[in-house]
Amino acid sequence: MSQETVRIMLSMPALEGEVALSKPAYRILSEKFGEKILRATDYRGDLAITVAGSAWKEAARTLRDHPELDYKLFLDLCGVDYLNDDSRPLRFEVVLHLYSVTKKHHIRLKTAVPEKTPVCDTLTDVFKGANWFEREAFDLYGLIFTGHPNLTRILTHDDFIGHPMRKDFPTGKRYVSKKPKEWLLEVPKGSEHLVLNIGPSHPAMHGTFRVQALLDGEIIKDCEAEIGYLHRNFEKMAEERTYWQIIPYTDRLNYCSAFINGHGWALAVEKLLGVPAPPRAEAIRVILSEFSRIMDHFICISTNVVDLGAITPFFVVFRAREEIYDLLDSVCGARLTVSYARIGGVAQDVPDDFEARCRAILVWIKEVSDQMEALLTTNAIFANRFKDVGTMSKEDALSYGWVGPCLRGSGIAYDIRKDHPYSGYEQYDFDIPVGTVGDCYDRYLVRVEEIKQSARIIDQALQKMPKGDFITQDRRVALPPKSEVYGNIESLMNHFKLVYDGILAAPGEVYGYVEGANGELGYYIVSDGKKHPSRVKVRPPCYNIYQAYPQMIKGTLIADAVAVIGGLNVVAGELDR
Amino acid sequence: MASNVITVNRDTRPGYMPILYGMYLTLRNMFETLFVKGRSATIEYPEKKRNISGRYRGVHLLTAREDGTPKCVACYMCATVCPAECIYIEAGERPEKKIEKYPTRFEIDLLRCVYCGFCVDACPEEAILMSRENDLVGTSRAELIIDRENLMHRGKLAEVGKGYHPTDHDVRRPVRIAALERLKSEHGIVPQMPASRR
Amino acid sequence: MPKCTIDGQEIEVAPGTSVIRAAELAGVRVPRFCYHDDLPVDGNCRMCMVEIEKFPKLQIACGTTVNEGMVIKTQVTSPKAKAAQKDTLEFLLVNHPIDCPVCDQAGECYLQDQYMDNGLHDSRVEIEEKINKRKVVDIGPIMLDAERCVVCSRCIRYEREVTKTNLLEFVNRGGSTQISTYNGGPITHEYAGNLVDVCPVGALLSKDFRFKMRVWFLKETDSVCPGCSTGCNMTIDHRDGEAYRFRPRRNVEVNKSWMCDPGRDLYKLIAPDRVATAHRFGGVVATTKEIVHELAVKLQAAGADSAFLASPRASNEDAYTFKKVAQAVGGRLDFRVGNPQDKLNVRKDEILQREDRHPNTQGLLDQGLGVTGVETLLADCKAGKVQVLVLQDGSMLNDPAVAEAAKTVPYVAVMATHQGTHLMNAHAVIPVAMWAETDGTFTNFERRVQRFKRAFDAPGDAKPRWEVGLDLLERLGQPMNAASAGDVFVEMAVATPAYADFTHRSLGPLGKSLATADKAQASA
Repeated sequence: MSQETVRIMLSMPALEGEVALSKPAYRILSEKFGEKILRATDYRGDLAITVAGSAWKEAARTLRDHPELDYKLFLDLCGVDYLNDDSRPLRFEVVLHLYSVTKKHHIRLKTAVPEKTPVCDTLTDVFKGANWFEREAFDLYGLIFTGHPNLTRILTHDDFIGHPMRKDFPTGKRYVSKKPKEWLLEVPKGSEHLVLNIGPSHPAMHGTFRVQALLDGEIIKDCEAEIGYLHRNFEKMAEERTYWQIIPYTDRLNYCSAFINGHGWALAVEKLLGVPAPPRAEAIRVILSEFSRIMDHFICISTNVVDLGAITPFFVVFRAREEIYDLLDSVCGARLTVSYARIGGVAQDVPDDFEARCRAILVWIKEVSDQMEALLTTNAIFANRFKDVGTMSKEDALSYGWVGPCLRGSGIAYDIRKDHPYSGYEQYDFDIPVGTVGDCYDRYLVRVEEIKQSARIIDQALQKMPKGDFITQDRRVALPPKSEVYGNIESLMNHFKLVYDGILAAPGEVYGYVEGANGELGYYIVSDGKKHPSRVKVRPPCYNIYQAYPQMIKGTLIADAVAVIGGLNVVAGELDR
Repeated sequence: MASNVITVNRDTRPGYMPILYGMYLTLRNMFETLFVKGRSATIEYPEKKRNISGRYRGVHLLTAREDGTPKCVACYMCATVCPAECIYIEAGERPEKKIEKYPTRFEIDLLRCVYCGFCVDACPEEAILMSRENDLVGTSRAELIIDRENLMHRGKLAEVGKGYHPTDHDVRRPVRIAALERLKSEHGIVPQMPASRR
Repeated sequence: MPKCTIDGQEIEVAPGTSVIRAAELAGVRVPRFCYHDDLPVDGNCRMCMVEIEKFPKLQIACGTTVNEGMVIKTQVTSPKAKAAQKDTLEFLLVNHPIDCPVCDQAGECYLQDQYMDNGLHDSRVEIEEKINKRKVVDIGPIMLDAERCVVCSRCIRYEREVTKTNLLEFVNRGGSTQISTYNGGPITHEYAGNLVDVCPVGALLSKDFRFKMRVWFLKETDSVCPGCSTGCNMTIDHRDGEAYRFRPRRNVEVNKSWMCDPGRDLYKLIAPDRVATAHRFGGVVATTKEIVHELAVKLQAAGADSAFLASPRASNEDAYTFKKVAQAVGGRLDFRVGNPQDKLNVRKDEILQREDRHPNTQGLLDQGLGVTGVETLLADCKAGKVQVLVLQDGSMLNDPAVAEAAKTVPYVAVMATHQGTHLMNAHAVIPVAMWAETDGTFTNFERRVQRFKRAFDAPGDAKPRWEVGLDLLERLGQPMNAASAGDVFVEMAVATPAYADFTHRSLGPLGKSLATADKAQASA
């Protein structure tokens, strides 16, 4: 893309009306709600519809139920604070993201909320997944959702004062929790039930989150979850960083597959800017993303069976994982926190022995995944502990907003790499495995198959690896090469401006998404034209998945709870952000 | 490309063979590790160290000019770009007027640092690099805020080697290549790195 | 009123407006180096090229006056103008040194900004081909670097038109042209700081600010200079609660784009030697709450046997609450220590400075704080008629007459910003904030009310004077319904008719003149 077109795109205003008008969602909603549909935009291909507060819940319900629309997959709900935007009469906005698996389309539904009475209808009776998201919006922004069954803080603790994501909340302000929350659920008086805390630091919890279970013998009668132990407010930090300063922070989201997070962030910002990365960079990103996915699945499966008492698979697969980490070290300069993606490409070109190393690792992966399968798939103990445990129906999975291997385990073939190919995934031949029942065993089988498919993708990407730039040549986005910076004033000025002023995106908002190891990892970015994003919302896949966990284990044995949690692959870094 | 949705086969017949296979694997690995050289996945740390790549982002170091003064000119680029805000610089004027500016204080809080390498990317003078040093031990927090002298004189560095540093990668712009060729053919000049400039 | 079209947008401007100004009014900033709002047009940098219909060639926007029906295309719509600007920038950079890392201008440099906006071109010049000029030349308060100069002559025109000192001139010719002072001598006048501001690049840099901080770290807060009764509009550049420099803020009716060097130096007063905690006689530390309570008790006991000395350094809000306290107990009240009211309008020089070195003498006069007469008040003190003396500013004790009178008063309470031996005789010292640490308004010599904003927090327990005043009023049983300086201003405006039309918000960034408000009232 030439310099000229890029600059025009950078300053392109949000398109209003015409493009959006042709979309069925807009047509159907405006037929039904008329005046209450306030605005529709189609910026960068993201359909966004703003509705009046009174039509909020019904509009969401229509989007879900209308046969032509079928937006059944709940993705995300968040608040946005427009304190510094004088053009808006109302300070807050509630933003809902939905997806239609059948129509393969994303939609964003918004409604404005006033500052004095920040009240909005709850969507908990439309989407089950809305529960925790609304609690989060209440916690971080102080938005009140009428009709919500349990509107309490979720990411911060009860001793916290104020709402940290509000623009007028000072960034450095912290509160220390004086007392832990002892009871998460009501214990019936006089019963002989036992209340058991699982976590926050329990080896089977794979991170710091806590579940409190009410036990009748070994049966879990009731259950409540608490999260937020690892909350560091990534989103607030992102509001004070330039677009590329945020990259290291994304590594800490799902740290088991850190590169995919950076990949997703880079893609989302590239979408916002309208600047694509060169093909070589995309191929490198695909290869590293797939390796990360394989690692993540390895960890998920092996730690899951460790919880059940089998440690052999763990050691078997960790050999291959170690090799992948070494590869990441040689390419990115770090094993875990890679910080390798850049807006418009990657940090530097891959080393010369990259392909040979990748191929060697593919052999390793083949070997250990075969061994792992031989150890597990037909293992009587394993199969008995996994089959028909933690079953999730299709409908509930969609309503909770499950994505990724967990959703596919329930039988819905939604994979962003296939349905909305990015980074050149359309060039590669691979299959999407789906389950039938939606139990732990299906989720395990889907992951095993995905490891094989990922290896296929890597193999093809290595074959097709194009030559050329590893980062865009757009001087508004990428730092100039060092030799230029040392040697001439033009590039030095360019370098300086990019470092202290960052990348300036035109005002607008996009939702960028990738298929993370756990499913759709989305970044909702609002830009006001300044060097820092005005709002960044991460849609963490396991937030939705973990939300369903307490419901899933109600009525099951406590041992099954351990089997289920490992297979969901909840990563605290991403869950708590 | 061809896209298939395949349904996983859950119709397996679980048995007890995998358990025996697991025992076999374990025993095999044990004997291999004991008797076959190079099969072991672990190393005898700290006598032996892992092989880490030349791109590794370890503890920073400041490079020096030929006269031993820091190459850094206190432009604050690294402090600006640092996402963790762990670099603290104070600038002063050099006595000789040739370079003008240098850091009178340059401190990095290694406990705050996230080792992202952005400071290396942002440096316009090749003054800050990262070493491969990664075993970082201290007895107090203050000890791990390292200052200019410590960043410059790192005896260990000879042992561990240079990590993440700017590779003067391809000069991508055709205009620049043409200019370089013209300069060489017409004036016989080959531009040098900034150490020798002015 | 000629009408013109700029990038397809029709706009009507005053006769004689230049195209560059008209474009600014239409929301398009044409890049420039030599054009400056408050300097005569020179048209030498050739950066502001625009395409005007019916002109065969591109025209400079700064030197072309808008005529009726002109159709102007700036770089936004005209590829020709854009290309011309890009080429001009490339020429200006031919001999520019590779200095951004050591140049203090980085961050507010026109070259950097315009390269990112319009340039983005590749380099065609090697370091070895550049012409070397004089660098790091010390000319008094300024550091000159001739290599970085783009030869726009802004500084020369400033010296010629504003200070009329003609200290700078071009020497040499062609590519070797550079600016120089006569024989390399220093800049001697008190307005040298403006040279740094007019310089669009890093050729003239402040020696005081040199290497202290990078400008992109600094936050800007609108303020007003407290140095004299002119009340120059300025910006406080600060980071982490520390002021690094003052810069003039353009206000055509007060200071244009200029500011004097003594005014710029005032930032140095803010941090050192501040009173951070309240204390009693002999330096016994106490809480502000205790001291204010004690003072309120003493004042209630003394009643009319109290005296109040207000300070023309205090803002209108401070003065109003102080006056209310004095009225609440019926004490003596005045502020004219050293007769600032007589010097209010006397110029110190031909440019900006005035003899009255207080920012708010006029504001206090407007509010009628000069009641008793300072001589009478001090004589009463000496005669033992005064039980409690309240000083609004610690520095008043530097005045020998006040200090002598204070010695005879049994209880002297001082609102102080800075420590010093002069506070030795005070029985109660209340730490207060300086103007940069609170919101408020000053009224300048020509009765222009101008607002300043809080840049950062006051050190320690220090509070704004108006807040101390409110606290005292509450303890004296006459609370005011105000929570912010803006609220106090509203009450003050009710009590002081000249201010009646204004609120903090309506004053805007540039302030409003009471004189014009008076006229409007008279004509209505």
